[in-house]
Amino acid sequence: MPESDPRHLTFKLVYYGPAQSGKTTNLLRLHDQLAPEMKGEVMTMETKDDRTLFFDLLPLGFRAPSGLLIKFRLFTVPGQVAHDGTRKAVLSRADGVVFVADADRAQETNNGESFQSLADNCARVGIDFSQLPLVVQFNKCDLPTATPESEVRERWASAPWPLVFSIALTGFGVEPTLATLLRSVYRRFADEYALASQHGLDEAAFVAGAMGQAA
Amino acid sequence: MSQAFDREWQLGELLDGPLLEQFGANLRTLLASELAISDAAGQTLWGIAPPDAQRLPLILELEPIGYLLGHASDSGRLTAARNLLQIQLRAQVRFRMASTLHLEAVAEDFESLRREHARLSESEARYKALSAELEERVRHQVAVLEERQQMLYQAEKLASVGQLAAGMAHEINNPLGFVRSNLSTFTKYLEKLGELKTALGEDLAAWQTLDLDFVLEDGVDLLQESAKGLERIARIVADLKSFSNVDRASEEFTDLNDCLQQAAGIVEKQLPAGINIQLDLLPLPRLICLPGHINQLFFNVIRNAMQAIQDAGRPGSIRISSEANEAGIAIRIRDDGIGMQPAQLERAFEPFYTTRPVGAGVGLGLSTARNIVLAHSGRITLDSQPDGGTTVSIFFPAPP
Repeated sequence: MPESDPRHLTFKLVYYGPAQSGKTTNLLRLHDQLAPEMKGEVMTMETKDDRTLFFDLLPLGFRAPSGLLIKFRLFTVPGQVAHDGTRKAVLSRADGVVFVADADRAQETNNGESFQSLADNCARVGIDFSQLPLVVQFNKCDLPTATPESEVRERWASAPWPLVFSIALTGFGVEPTLATLLRSVYRRFADEYALASQHGLDEAAFVAGAMGQAA
Repeated sequence: MSQAFDREWQLGELLDGPLLEQFGANLRTLLASELAISDAAGQTLWGIAPPDAQRLPLILELEPIGYLLGHASDSGRLTAARNLLQIQLRAQVRFRMASTLHLEAVAEDFESLRREHARLSESEARYKALSAELEERVRHQVAVLEERQQMLYQAEKLASVGQLAAGMAHEINNPLGFVRSNLSTFTKYLEKLGELKTALGEDLAAWQTLDLDFVLEDGVDLLQESAKGLERIARIVADLKSFSNVDRASEEFTDLNDCLQQAAGIVEKQLPAGINIQLDLLPLPRLICLPGHINQLFFNVIRNAMQAIQDAGRPGSIRISSEANEAGIAIRIRDDGIGMQPAQLERAFEPFYTTRPVGAGVGLGLSTARNIVLAHSGRITLDSQPDGGTTVSIFFPAPP
């Protein structure tokens, strides 16, 4: 559930995935590339050897035509298996999730386990996984050892979630990933918060506002 | 979830009183003027806002969570002061978020450990129950095996004793037959000797010298005694034969009450005065058994009861009762006779153990009785007090 009061609506979006799949890199690129009305600094919590221990946080925001301030707080979870408790706590209250998979063929098992842990943890923190806006991003798709896009698409063909292929290091695919998630989030919550009827926001304006592109 | 790590933090919780005081005082010194710090709603938390103060927002993420109100000779100083305060606030919020998240994570980890522990405890309990059940089953199987082995052993023993007994009975019966016949002939010869006295008439000198009157009289006695001895031998042989199951009958559906009545009927014919038999029989389901053997069993036990009362030298009664429930058929034969000493009780079922004088019993009655009961998967127990009577309890389990 987004946090809301009469003047604010805050969406919590979580980047989830196996260790070193590029969740923090996604956030750093978004910070560089996006230019919404309001953009905070990337807040990076403690790291150890460049691995996230707690989370990273990127705040974004814009004001709807109605004057409602819409905020997005983009979190990353620690990917390492040992930090499952932290991962679960960060995942709590998420309104949307980007699952950042590592396209490297050698990481297939880790991806699978991490995706399973996402589903399990959603159940434990009271998120209805079947209703959760979710985008699956295959990152590092430029690796020579990456699973080819056609194979990945074939394998995920029966899954309901949109797939995005990215190279977070260069920023390729990072914005489309967020845009895709924002569209899912809009569809999930637009009616509940009367985004179109009371606040003058259609889906395109919602995405554009968050990303900082001309509506 | 107001305590969650990702809540919107307020200025007041990030900078508590002492911290505000330290910052405020230091900033006041740096700016060389009064200043105030207020929260997002404009409520002053520390200091005094100077007149014509500038209001600079303190931003953590996107929006101000408070304001610095001050006045400085050049605005760069005030901005620098705001920036310092902002840096402190961000450090503070990072620390607070991290520590709160850490607590949540620890609680989560603890929760998963507890779940895991509960799961393990449950599976441990399951395995414990399983192991107890297995143990119980093994114990049961061992008991069954032991019982079977015991039965097999009994049957073997019975077969070998039976073979011996049958062989002996056969071998003894032959000479017994001609000795008995010879004795009977010899009785007639003695009668002829008596006739000789009449034939001699008055000349009885030699007769009297040889004291043939005495010889005749004693000879008859001797022959009678011998005949009694032969009877006894014959009875022992008959007992041995029945003990050996030589005349094995086939199994039948039988009402045990009929068997009890038959056996009691036979004993009743031999009952001395002062001893009576009371039957208290409840309806019984029919049992597959060897009725001949069952008759023998009841006869042996009832005869023992009769003898126990005779031994006590007083009038008494034998009470025979039967009843049935789901578990099986229970029969009790109780006398108020002489009873048994503990030592006797201990050996009562041993073959050839008897307390009767030689000739009065072979010591096979109870042994045979027990073998018959065991052959029908039953139980037989003795309860006896010296001079207090004996109760024989026989139980046949219902067929499974």
